Amino acid sequence: MTPSGAIAFAAIVIGGATWSADIRALTVLLALCITFGIVETGWRVRKAFAWPAAIVGPLALFMAIVWVGIVARSPAEIAAGLAGSRTSALAYVAVVCMRLFLIALLLRLVTLRFSHLTPLQFIRALWAPLLLKKLLVLTLSWIDTILHAVDRSRTALVTAGVVAPRLALKNVANGWILVQTVWLSVITIAIGRARDKWPAENTLARLDEVLSVPPLSLRWRDGAWMAAAIVTLAAAFAAAALRAAIA
Amino acid sequence: MLTTPRLIAIALCAALNFSIGSIVYLIKLPVYLDSIGTILCALLLAGDRKAAFVCSFLSALLSLIVSTLLINPFIPWFVGTDVALALVSAFVTSHGAAIFRARPLRPAAFIARVLLYGVITGVTAAVVSAPVVAYLFGGVTGSGSALVVAVFLHAGQQLLSASLSSGLAIEPIDKSLQVLLAALLYRATPGEFLAMLQTSGPDQAKRNPGYGG
Repeated sequence: MTPSGAIAFAAIVIGGATWSADIRALTVLLALCITFGIVETGWRVRKAFAWPAAIVGPLALFMAIVWVGIVARSPAEIAAGLAGSRTSALAYVAVVCMRLFLIALLLRLVTLRFSHLTPLQFIRALWAPLLLKKLLVLTLSWIDTILHAVDRSRTALVTAGVVAPRLALKNVANGWILVQTVWLSVITIAIGRARDKWPAENTLARLDEVLSVPPLSLRWRDGAWMAAAIVTLAAAFAAAALRAAIA
Repeated sequence: MLTTPRLIAIALCAALNFSIGSIVYLIKLPVYLDSIGTILCALLLAGDRKAAFVCSFLSALLSLIVSTLLINPFIPWFVGTDVALALVSAFVTSHGAAIFRARPLRPAAFIARVLLYGVITGVTAAVVSAPVVAYLFGGVTGSGSALVVAVFLHAGQQLLSASLSSGLAIEPIDKSLQVLLAALLYRATPGEFLAMLQTSGPDQAKRNPGYGG
């Protein structure tokens, strides 16, 4: 499978999940995602559940408190002016949380599927404009630079006695000095790279060379997953429409 | 329009958005602080508003892509908010660039501009993001604003209007803080870097062939 194929598959499923407000349709999509995970990542699929659970768990708790505990009726019942029930509020929370879990799980599975690639290799293989690929690589590089600048600036200010290494009141007072030091440090690096280092090493031209290779063509496996996503979505929506018509 | 120094500024501001936004997201503060780079990018290019909009939107888009994959998978639904923030930053907030850099600092004018632009940006962000917060999250995004939504819903408001009311209560404060931080960072930015951003690409490339990349 190619990175572009995986992203297209994820976009189709996420689009469908966003559109769907039916718990059964979302369950079917979740089953498709788990199948995708098992086929594409093998037993590593087990690792994929922790991240979405950590993100959606607190949200589910918040939503349950707000909707089931405090409001005690669903948005549809509020809109219709009905008294409502905690059961319908719980069903609403379940739909929203399952949708969010599905989105997070799918993104995690895609990143897990390509975890053997470096960020540069992943970006290089994408179907995307050269400018966007280049900016993505530069952004990832600057994120590391900022994190290093934070470490260096903090160490320097601790040594100078401006901020304390532990929780202290003077850290609040001098926190802005740390932020300013980090920013000035990063800007100095940026000026140095743009004016001296990159021209001397021809970095940007070499980056263009690396990124401008033709992206990987979609393979039959990409097509198969995209087709599976479209068929699953169509079946889920048709079943939901049928149930609504019968009701 | 997209010269090499501007590409560097875009990536730098995107990295700033990501770094600060992810720290705030992970420690669950009741603010977002994930658009400081977007606002700063518009201020850095205040002399050319069209370029300021394009560059600040690109920086927001890049941080959105990186955040989606690494920190918060639900960020892409707020791309409309990013467009609105880039528009407001480039065409409204950038008018304050001269006051933000004035030496010596004029505190009254500085604070007044920060509050004015913060409120405008906050109201815009609240209006644009309310439908997403209402539909995708059921009005509850996991921050302290969830309790504000609960109060409005309990008072009988519809979900969309409760999300909007909550956004209008929280966003102007958050965005005023972001405009303040962006203005202070802009003020601290060396003139040499600003001069690099104003330079047109081909001229720079002529002076230094390796520069055009």
